[in-house]
Amino acid sequence: MSIETTRDKTHAAPVASPADPVHMKIRDLIYKISGIYHSEQKLYLLISSCNRRMTACGVATSSQYFDYLTTNAKRDSELRLLLNEITIGETYMFRHPPQLDALRNVILPQIMQGKSALGLKRLRFWSAGCSTGEEPYTLAMFLTEEKQLDGWTFDILASDLNTNSLEAARTGIYGDYALRNVSDAMRRKYFRDAGNNKLQANDLLKSRIRFDRVNLSDDSKMLFLKGIDVIFCCNVLIYFDLASKRRVVQHFYSNLVAGGYFFLGHAESLFHVNDAFQLIHLSGTTAYMKPPIGSAAGRKP
Amino acid sequence: MNEQQATALEAQIAKIESIWTAPPILVPLIEMMRLPLDDICLEKVVEMVSHDAGIAAQCLRFANSPLFGRRSVETVRAAVLALGIGRIRSLLFGVCMHRTIPKAKWVLDPSAFWRHSLGCALVTQRMAHGVGYPDLEKAYLAGLIHDIGFLVNSVLYTLKLQECLKHSATNGCPLHVSEQEILGFTHADSGRLLCRRWGLSEELVEVAGCHHQVESLSTADPLVCLVHLGDLLCRVRNLGYGYNEVLAVALAEDTAWKHLVPAYPALAEVDLVRFTLDIDGSMDQIAALVDSVFAPSQQAVAKGI
Repeated sequence: MSIETTRDKTHAAPVASPADPVHMKIRDLIYKISGIYHSEQKLYLLISSCNRRMTACGVATSSQYFDYLTTNAKRDSELRLLLNEITIGETYMFRHPPQLDALRNVILPQIMQGKSALGLKRLRFWSAGCSTGEEPYTLAMFLTEEKQLDGWTFDILASDLNTNSLEAARTGIYGDYALRNVSDAMRRKYFRDAGNNKLQANDLLKSRIRFDRVNLSDDSKMLFLKGIDVIFCCNVLIYFDLASKRRVVQHFYSNLVAGGYFFLGHAESLFHVNDAFQLIHLSGTTAYMKPPIGSAAGRKP
Repeated sequence: MNEQQATALEAQIAKIESIWTAPPILVPLIEMMRLPLDDICLEKVVEMVSHDAGIAAQCLRFANSPLFGRRSVETVRAAVLALGIGRIRSLLFGVCMHRTIPKAKWVLDPSAFWRHSLGCALVTQRMAHGVGYPDLEKAYLAGLIHDIGFLVNSVLYTLKLQECLKHSATNGCPLHVSEQEILGFTHADSGRLLCRRWGLSEELVEVAGCHHQVESLSTADPLVCLVHLGDLLCRVRNLGYGYNEVLAVALAEDTAWKHLVPAYPALAEVDLVRFTLDIDGSMDQIAALVDSVFAPSQQAVAKGI
């Protein structure tokens, strides 16, 4: 997984020998539990994340920190904190173009064909764990610009557990980093000046999205959400234990329409978590599909 | 492809040696490819690789790639010892075939073609390793040569293949579909005939001939299935033929997968997301290796790498 955050800029130089066997051990541990792999060129990012966590824990050497991660009573929570350090960088809009290409070329045509046959012209998207809103705003811009959706309506639910993140998403003020892949034309169309070299999502863009606090572990609320066509839940489930992950993914399965798609972060896998979803390889990305009614896999119990 | 087309194609392929510009070692190399690895003499391989300084240099670049383990190999003999006869034979084949096609006859971008072929070789071999397929070098070679028919079509039907490529690039459809529409046959048909003409093993003939048709086979050879899956995986990870192919592939629902699972149950234990990420991790190295071997930069040439 290529990890690109603002930290790429602030810690541009490698800070330790990539051959340090302890760092390799931590790298392997992170890969084993999350699938996130730091190549030698990216190892410095892992090392700086570890260094920040070591300071926070009061641990002096990376060797002690590895012990802390593997044998300490608090190892589970520390692992989660380290993963937070690694994955929750500032993200940016239009970060993963292959996902949008897959939506444009494969997923939307497929879903729209199925819905048209039923006389339906409405699509529902859900960004589950939207953090500070970059993902749902990207989706809103992308869908608004898609000519194939002319004559269709769509709505986007953007949810997060963290109320601070959700508030930031609702406010929708972003700096250059978050907007780095947003074209000038889109900036003019969907944003207004917010001072301090920042832009704020305008009402047109905000009107496309409904922000709501959703706890993915809240069964009663999860059961209530139905008829979603595409769910995005990127880098959220890596912090869940297997049993909770299974429960949440089963909910997502029920939330989706038959033939609907589910995107995880691109290092995340449902292997041994759920075998009802079908893994679909699309150009440069992967997604999970709830099998359409009538397909062989769709008839599986 | 009907019988008449097959006869015509076979007649064209019989003439191909007079059109392309094979290095002198291609013929003995093809002979060597018919042999089991145990019957091949190391000295003979060293001699063959050393015959042409350019080919020897290209083989050394392969041998020094991190893709095959970080080594510092300076002589052909060391390269053969380090990589093994099977791998050297495969890469020598790639290098020779690259030289065999006249520059003006390349329809596909040579870099894209070799990235795809080498990528497929590595992915097929890794998958073979993952499921416990016994002959990893055979898997590698099968992945490398599966699309050899494109080279035949490039040489014999240059303009029509260009048309196929344009059609596929415009429509985002697989190249073999355009070939079928425009040429009336595909690179798989030409590949099968060439491999048969060369006297390669029936398994390799099947790989070249059936890697797009696994679903129509009642019993598919595991090697064909592995290459079929390797080819698909490369094409969905941007190692296709240099145009944007619109693909949505459920590998675990694929016929090849279903053929393989009973004989190789370990396949069901492959986490395809992780496997794909591992392949992605090798993409840059594959691209760098192909570029250094088949289109060496001036800097590399000057250094004599």
